[in-house]
Amino acid sequence: MHAVSSLSFHEKSAIGTLIALWFIGIFYFHSVWDLWQAGQLHPASMTALATVLVILLVVILVGYHIVIALIQKPQIDDERDRLVAWRAGNISGLVLGIAVISIVSHILIGGVFGSTLVQSPMLIANALIAAVFLATVVELVLTLVFYRRGL
Amino acid sequence: MGGSNLDNRVRALRDASEHMTQQALADAVGVSRQTIIAIEQGRYSPSLEVALKIAQAFGEPIERVFWFSYS
Repeated sequence: MHAVSSLSFHEKSAIGTLIALWFIGIFYFHSVWDLWQAGQLHPASMTALATVLVILLVVILVGYHIVIALIQKPQIDDERDRLVAWRAGNISGLVLGIAVISIVSHILIGGVFGSTLVQSPMLIANALIAAVFLATVVELVLTLVFYRRGL
Repeated sequence: MGGSNLDNRVRALRDASEHMTQQALADAVGVSRQTIIAIEQGRYSPSLEVALKIAQAFGEPIERVFWFSYS
């Protein structure tokens, strides 16, 4: 109980966001995989799936943040909060950049060898969504690590 | 040449003063209570501005509150 109460608003926010994003992200990519296997990965089905899950994620996160704000008054960011956000954001930005360059390289090089990724804009879109998802997860995990283990 | 860490005796000074809770010190310095906890536990080295404000809150010169320890 003491360990939980010693968490700052930012840490509680990061934990809740990470858990919600993780489960919804896994559900999304699992559904995309199933649609692709069934040959149903079209813009309409993907847009519908993404819209429903984004709305669900927003509702969950708004509700969660209202609850933690009622339990613990949000504080104004101090220098440590800003430093944690800056370092986590820096590294996640690097992860996003590497992932995007990897996808673009795969498209360019794979295009020469007839890669499946190049033949499907839906796969390219989902690969980019996966890159953003990965970078966001990295940012949230690093935020928690920096708060708990120090900078 | 070994690395250096910033050590402090914020916890000892706070324990020695009667009414200085972590929250009171945080309010005096303008940071969160969690940041004071992190400083006391050596998980965060504060900026010069915050270190000076902490020393000022205890009425001590900064070098008696924060110092380098070499490993």
